[in-house]
Amino acid sequence: MRAAIGYGALVWGGAACVLGIVALGAGLRRSDDRLLLLGRRFVFAVLVAAVVAVAVMEWALLSHDFSLEYVAKNGSLATPVFYTAASLWASLEGSILLWMLILAGYLGLTAYRFRDRATDPLVAWATITGLAVALFFFILLLGPANPFRLVAGVVPTDGPGPNPLLQNHPLMAVHPPMLYLGYVGFTVPFMFAIAALVTGRLGEGWLIETRRAAVLAWGFLTVGIVLGGWWSYEVLGWGGYWAWDPVENASLLPWLTGTAYIHSVMVQERRGMLRVWNLSLLIATFCLTILGTFLTRSGVVNSVHSFSESAIGPMLLLFLGVVAVVGIGLIAWRGDLLRSHGKIDSVVSRESAFLANNLLFAAFAFVVLLGTVFPLLVEALQDRRLSVGEPYFDRMTLPIGMALLFLMAAAPALPWRATSGEVLQRRFRVPAWIGVLTMLVAVLLGTRGVAQVLVFGLAAFALTGIAQQFGMAVRSRSSVHGEKIPVALGRTVTGNPRKYGGLVVHVGVVLVAVAISVGAHWSTSREVRLGENESATVAGYTVTYLGSDTTVTEQKTTSAAQVRVERGGDDLGVYEPAISTFPNSTQGIGTPSVRTGITRDVYLTLISSPNESGRVTLGVAVNPMVVWLWIGGGVMFLGTLIAVGPSARSSLRRARRTGPSPDVSEPTEGDSTDPGPAEVPA
Amino acid sequence: MRAPWARWVPWVALALIAAVAVGLAANPGSRDDSPDARLESLTRELRCPTCQGLSVADSPSSTARAIVDDVRRRIEAGETDGEIRDAYVETWGEWILLEPQNSGVSLLVWLLPIAGLVLGVGVLVVALTRWRREPRYTPTTEDRELVERVRGRKEDPGATGAR
Repeated sequence: MRAAIGYGALVWGGAACVLGIVALGAGLRRSDDRLLLLGRRFVFAVLVAAVVAVAVMEWALLSHDFSLEYVAKNGSLATPVFYTAASLWASLEGSILLWMLILAGYLGLTAYRFRDRATDPLVAWATITGLAVALFFFILLLGPANPFRLVAGVVPTDGPGPNPLLQNHPLMAVHPPMLYLGYVGFTVPFMFAIAALVTGRLGEGWLIETRRAAVLAWGFLTVGIVLGGWWSYEVLGWGGYWAWDPVENASLLPWLTGTAYIHSVMVQERRGMLRVWNLSLLIATFCLTILGTFLTRSGVVNSVHSFSESAIGPMLLLFLGVVAVVGIGLIAWRGDLLRSHGKIDSVVSRESAFLANNLLFAAFAFVVLLGTVFPLLVEALQDRRLSVGEPYFDRMTLPIGMALLFLMAAAPALPWRATSGEVLQRRFRVPAWIGVLTMLVAVLLGTRGVAQVLVFGLAAFALTGIAQQFGMAVRSRSSVHGEKIPVALGRTVTGNPRKYGGLVVHVGVVLVAVAISVGAHWSTSREVRLGENESATVAGYTVTYLGSDTTVTEQKTTSAAQVRVERGGDDLGVYEPAISTFPNSTQGIGTPSVRTGITRDVYLTLISSPNESGRVTLGVAVNPMVVWLWIGGGVMFLGTLIAVGPSARSSLRRARRTGPSPDVSEPTEGDSTDPGPAEVPA
Repeated sequence: MRAPWARWVPWVALALIAAVAVGLAANPGSRDDSPDARLESLTRELRCPTCQGLSVADSPSSTARAIVDDVRRRIEAGETDGEIRDAYVETWGEWILLEPQNSGVSLLVWLLPIAGLVLGVGVLVVALTRWRREPRYTPTTEDRELVERVRGRKEDPGATGAR
């Protein structure tokens, strides 16, 4: 019954995609507005289908309907409701269903946002593209990834529950949806990029329309990646948050090209350059999200995340190939229209910095992609197995990351087009001195390692530059308008949310960079064997083993050790690292216990439960500044929200605008504080 | 009026201080050849065979811990880093090394990104020189705005849609 409703919804959704594509296609052919308006409605039919399918699945999960194979495999009566609800994305079929829901949501929002322009060929083509992508996912759901398949034979009375690692920490409920909001969000700008190519309307219009969607998707992806790291840190118990695992890399790849895009898009907006490049970046980003799904879901790489393996791989690969061929073909076909009137006035300018930024992000993405697929390629071609792991990625990405950090610190202060040496000197004097003095102080305080010292210097350089930008704008506002500082700050930000939101994102990046660098060099980790009431001291923290106990619930059997943590005589509390055994797995799952601190974490793991003599083996790690990674991620998301938020200036402009056609020659929300020499406000 | 070079003096000083700081940071004294340091760096290079891409240094699994113990024994027995690596490659294959080697096919994974970066820089330099080549008469701001406005109307969007 439920299976029938769910499957019916999927059939309905797939049919709505086909009908929508046909109606829109016919409408475009015959220039028939009624058909275009009709075709657009199918988007909402798709949304309804996706909502119904997900609702049925959740209903089946929560009511433990074990006649569904998915529930029988991923549900159990013992799993708490919270994790039962979250097991929608515990395995392949449900994940694709979640993907579908999010895609349908984005399509619905796009259709709603462009409701007044439904007959515009650009919007119609974008909708066709979106529906085609949705159709592909419906086909997956109807065929190899059918979540509503019934169990063969007798309906079981209980199931094994989700993978133990997925029912161990509440972050699992947020990390995948956030990641998918980011992944799938890039479909929206991709749709418009394809539409622009097909219609030949390759000006800056399509790009400005989808800028918010791209930035928001980027923000979600950022949060998704950071939460993934946090989950890994809190659950996996090896003390780290990033292992360059192929599936982590898969989430990073579209982030890298997406980051390149949201920067280079500004060059196109301001200067009409880089059209082919921006289209390629968007198509590449979309392809990389599909590649990521392929890597995660086909089981092609052996990795932590390959919880599921399926015949879905070839289909994803085929889809990836089709998208790439169509994208490259369209760009080649429109080659003549894409030739842009590029001009760079000076190598020391904002646009040059963005070009360098893009080169570096592309190189970064290339390194990550190559390192991820290289073992697969070698294995496929030569039948040899080799590994490309952390040492490779660390070594290759460190210099690129450094160069990017430098650009991030310097570029926002560079004016567009060209500038004089004097302007540069004035803008960089304070940040450069503070940066260099920070390096000097760091060295004098005993910091060793070039990368280490450079990160500190660049961080100080970047933060001072950002503070200077905010300071200048706020001061001039408060003196011109006589506003109080907080009011002036608020109005400065809303006056140009894109710029100041971007700078807030940069603050987050600085926090993350410093946290990574400090963590990589000053973490201490030791293994101690302790009997009851024995103590050991690691990096100034004294840990005392108090005893252990075992709790048995329906969900799991947990053996926990009580460990008191003290520092300099201060009692910091009792922590309980544990090992749990779940009924569906023989392997014990360690649960680290983390004392999160503002300067350092104490990370405790129970390596082995008490032996005959009552001694336990504990892993004790002291990891500095880890919490700043999560805070930095939060700051990056906050900046994203500011950047896509309403702008006082653009609403003013909208109010003033009389004609229907937006004047693209006007620098859209550029930065007010730096009119370059060639840019005198009219 | 100061000489034109005078204003660069503080920047040169700045660069010097930065260079000194980096130089000091780069000189860690003698390289650490203690058994503990060698154990640390070797175990970071070896892949934990039962995990998913973690090094034996990071992995809490029993196999990984056995390998760490074995490496410690080998260091104590006087084997060199190269000998220990070779012994592991002998048993497990090249796969056991997390860092691809600098020879054979593996060389590609090191060289391709560098080649790509060089190519990218080349393309960028060519593009920049082309973009910088300017007509003799630079258009004024008004000219540019006029042209862009007309161009914007013609091929850009908005509701009208040229095509």
